[in-house]
Amino acid sequence: MAQAVISDEQPLKTEAKRSARPAWVTTAIDVLRTYPYLIPVIVFFVGWQILPIYSALRVSFTDDNFLDRVEPNWIGLQNYRQLIRDELFWKGIWRAFLFTSIFLPGMLLIPMFVAVLVDRVTNNRIATTYRLILLIPSMIPAPLIFVLWSWMYNNYIGPINYILVDVLHLFNNTTQPQWINDTQLVFFSLAFMEWWWGLGYHTMFFLAGLATIPKDLFDAARVDGASEWRMFWGVTFWRLLPIILVLAVIRFGTAMAVIEEYLIMGGMNRTRNTYTWTVYMYETAFSGGIQLRGYAAAIGWLGALFMLIVVAAMFYAFRSRD
Amino acid sequence: MAVRNMTAPMAKDATGNYTDVWHPKRGIRWGLIFRHAILIGFCVLVLLPLFWIILMSFKSVPDGVQRYIWPKNFIEPAFTHYKWVLEKRPDVIQNFKNSVLVTLGTVVLATITAVLAGYALVHLRTPGQKFIVWALVASTFFPVRVTALIGIYNVQDALGLINHTWGLMLPYTALSTAISIFIMRGVFETVPKDIVDSSRIDGANSFRTLLGIMLPLVRNGIVVVIIVNFVAAWGEYLLAQTLMNDAANKTLPVFIANAGGGLGAWFWPRLAALYILAIAPGLIVFGIAQRWYMKGLQEGALKT
Repeated sequence: MAQAVISDEQPLKTEAKRSARPAWVTTAIDVLRTYPYLIPVIVFFVGWQILPIYSALRVSFTDDNFLDRVEPNWIGLQNYRQLIRDELFWKGIWRAFLFTSIFLPGMLLIPMFVAVLVDRVTNNRIATTYRLILLIPSMIPAPLIFVLWSWMYNNYIGPINYILVDVLHLFNNTTQPQWINDTQLVFFSLAFMEWWWGLGYHTMFFLAGLATIPKDLFDAARVDGASEWRMFWGVTFWRLLPIILVLAVIRFGTAMAVIEEYLIMGGMNRTRNTYTWTVYMYETAFSGGIQLRGYAAAIGWLGALFMLIVVAAMFYAFRSRD
Repeated sequence: MAVRNMTAPMAKDATGNYTDVWHPKRGIRWGLIFRHAILIGFCVLVLLPLFWIILMSFKSVPDGVQRYIWPKNFIEPAFTHYKWVLEKRPDVIQNFKNSVLVTLGTVVLATITAVLAGYALVHLRTPGQKFIVWALVASTFFPVRVTALIGIYNVQDALGLINHTWGLMLPYTALSTAISIFIMRGVFETVPKDIVDSSRIDGANSFRTLLGIMLPLVRNGIVVVIIVNFVAAWGEYLLAQTLMNDAANKTLPVFIANAGGGLGAWFWPRLAALYILAIAPGLIVFGIAQRWYMKGLQEGALKT
């Protein structure tokens, strides 16, 4: 680390000047000095996050139908009242929850397992090679991952069913697994795809956590004859627990709001498991028909609220108790 | 920070860092072999789908519609499918150009935004700093892309940007600002405050300090931000699909995702060739920048 030439003993001239002014003047000067740096983030954050969120909320209280070109009327909570009785919406929430509960454990445990193994590789070059290879899928953008895996799962050209049917003869052409079309299987297929995609990236989080554990701890334990298994459950796991919990909350949020996977791999078939509340919102707002934007915005908001309540509960349950 | 330097030469390892304790009685180190076998297995699993699609892009037409993996014949000459995509499909080239435009714009905007904000939040006395960070954190838990999609449509509509490709870079930048700023914030935090102070005593204003002294110190983090935004913008599907009406204004991933299933002109090997062309830029950028990327991740981008 570079050492600063000037030590702390010599107070900065500006510090002396600051203390002579009234507090609000210093604050005002600080605002003028620093907020120019924040102009871009404020523009983008307000313009394309706050404003759209607010706009969607406002639309959700109207009967806005996009294509009829009639000024929308304010109808208060009527969309929400209708939505609470909408079976398809609750089914959509349940389906999203189902996918999340299949997806989440694997997305946390597999990368942790891999990270523990990679962390033990002593040769730096080999360890870096493992990291690089595992990171390759994270460099492929989301929709292209879904396209690739819809090919992998395909019946006519997909290599997975080729291996299962033509090489291993576990199934024949009528009994072969319908990875995407089978309602029972589809969430597992999608989860596997997500695990494949996120493996490297999540492994990096765990490796960063493992790097902070002093290594002499293990050496000492090993000299004392502790087994790998005991060292993992005695030391490593507890050090990694904060990372697991943070990732669990983040991934819960993203998994509940998954949409592109379902649109690209599942389409708009309402009977399929991939028709979750997000797809319901998208179809209502943007596809065909008269595009009931008001009702769709209500779907989006109620779904988001439901999700945020669970996220808040997870935060509360996982809060650090020190 | 006790982060191990991954590019350090081997010799350094023997001293401080953790090494396997040698058990002379055991002879062959089964644990070591087992560990590498599992890791190699995972690497193979990661690479196999990619090898499969590369192979697909070189298959001959009859083999391309069958599901056996190794083709009976490869296409002759080898790059026929790639040539067809590049020469016979001006519509796809247009989508490709759209993607390049939007991606470059997003990367530039997002990087500038994140560097300026990260610097101000860590090294300057910014009033309301806590609130800004809190708002950014909160935004990452809100499903903006789904719930606010209608709102984003309305904003773009009000600005007259529906069906204008370049307009996509504005929401793209916004959607990744939070994560970009967190990355830059983590990396700026690794730079000692003394450096800023001493530069200020030398008479540099805060902007000159950023340009002259800070930027070289946080370059690994900038590489991470560039790559994150590159991948996100290059592959964005939902907004490009929703906000663009004409096929000519959409981006490449939208075309590929909607191309569906290997029928007509787009039989599988040709689609596979287009697919390779679509993922190549990201992998090339990663290949070039991976050293800085890995360092940037270690320096603080992964702090949560």
